[in-house]
Amino acid sequence: MPPIRLIPVSTVTDSDQEPEGSGHGASNRALYDALELSLAGSRAKQDPSPSDPANNSILARASASAQMERLVADFMQMYRERNEALKEVTSAHHDALFRLALAADFKDDDTGVHVVRIGFLAEALALALGHSPEWADLLRKAAPMHDVGKIGIPDSVLKKPGTFTPEERTAMNQHARIGAEILGKSRIPLFQLASEVALTHHERFDGRGYPKGLAGNEIPLSGRIVSVVDYFDALTMDRCYRPAMSDVIVHEMLRAERGNAFDPQIVDVILEHWPRFIALRNLVTQRQPTFTDLVRGGLDSGDVRKVAS
Amino acid sequence: MKRVLIVEDHSDIRKLIRMTLEFEDCEIHEAGNGANGLRMAIELCPDFMLLDIMMPGATDGLEVCRAIKSMPELASTKIVMLTARGQQHDIEAGREAGADEYLIKPFSPLELIQTFERMMVPA
Repeated sequence: MPPIRLIPVSTVTDSDQEPEGSGHGASNRALYDALELSLAGSRAKQDPSPSDPANNSILARASASAQMERLVADFMQMYRERNEALKEVTSAHHDALFRLALAADFKDDDTGVHVVRIGFLAEALALALGHSPEWADLLRKAAPMHDVGKIGIPDSVLKKPGTFTPEERTAMNQHARIGAEILGKSRIPLFQLASEVALTHHERFDGRGYPKGLAGNEIPLSGRIVSVVDYFDALTMDRCYRPAMSDVIVHEMLRAERGNAFDPQIVDVILEHWPRFIALRNLVTQRQPTFTDLVRGGLDSGDVRKVAS
Repeated sequence: MKRVLIVEDHSDIRKLIRMTLEFEDCEIHEAGNGANGLRMAIELCPDFMLLDIMMPGATDGLEVCRAIKSMPELASTKIVMLTARGQQHDIEAGREAGADEYLIKPFSPLELIQTFERMMVPA
């Protein structure tokens, strides 16, 4: 908007019949009162019997109230437009970061569905653990960004079949910090949570993870949930260095990591609801939800909650 | 910066218009009747005029509009009638007098801003 310049009124006119105080220095209250007064005058000019003061007063109120209604209607319109614009900005922001997540995911999974599945699975697990729908909703949007730091890892390392040399392992492990740094620059709560997930999703419950070697409940809940979900989903996918594993084997591998890599309580809950998590994973794969669906939470409503119930 | 002239006998309505147009980059002048409005229009050569129709004195807004539209020096002045007279024949009369736009009271400040922008701000 251009700067506002106030120009003094250049000519005060002879026919100005308003009382003193209704001028430019008057308060809004005075303006409102004056509006009513002057609208009485305005209507009087059209009225065939302007001599009736009671009639004038009624007309004045009607006109002032009509002008107020126009102002309020304008206000409502702008309020709606503002809310629409805010929604637009939020979804544009989400969209940009999910696309970044997608870019990272394209480097080692050619579909991008993995990151979307991680979102829905993390939400379902959070709900099954008894956390609030609001927090689970935020986690669904934050979890897909956990591997965004892979963008900073050379393909020679990321796509290497077989085992890593210690140097390559060190380089690969940098993706947690890189992701946290990319996401943590934002002040938006969603991206703060995403940054937390990116930083801590390779920590282990027994303290032998990275980057910080945190143990037990030192690891934020978001990181503890996403590490389980990421493991579960990644093992059942074909990777360049190994084929997909069967759900039965993954079930056993998860059980084996109970209290080692993963929070025992979280492992208990996912194993307890095992068929439902398998079904949700398959549903996401089959439906191929978009990022817009992920932001809205829109698989069929209740798909995720069914898992938790 | 655009120069605006408001011709309106009620100072509170003038203030409402002024407050609305102060969202825009413009210099605002005011007149309280038709005769003063015409005199100031000739002095100021405004880009944009808001003109009430019924005002005290011998000269009403339609006459001011006709007079301005007949002057070659004021050919670029855009005139918006802003009046409580909202019948079809009133709007016809405004068009015949040469008005560029016709807004009806009670007026929408949002519509006024949009009208100003449409007519004054190059797309």
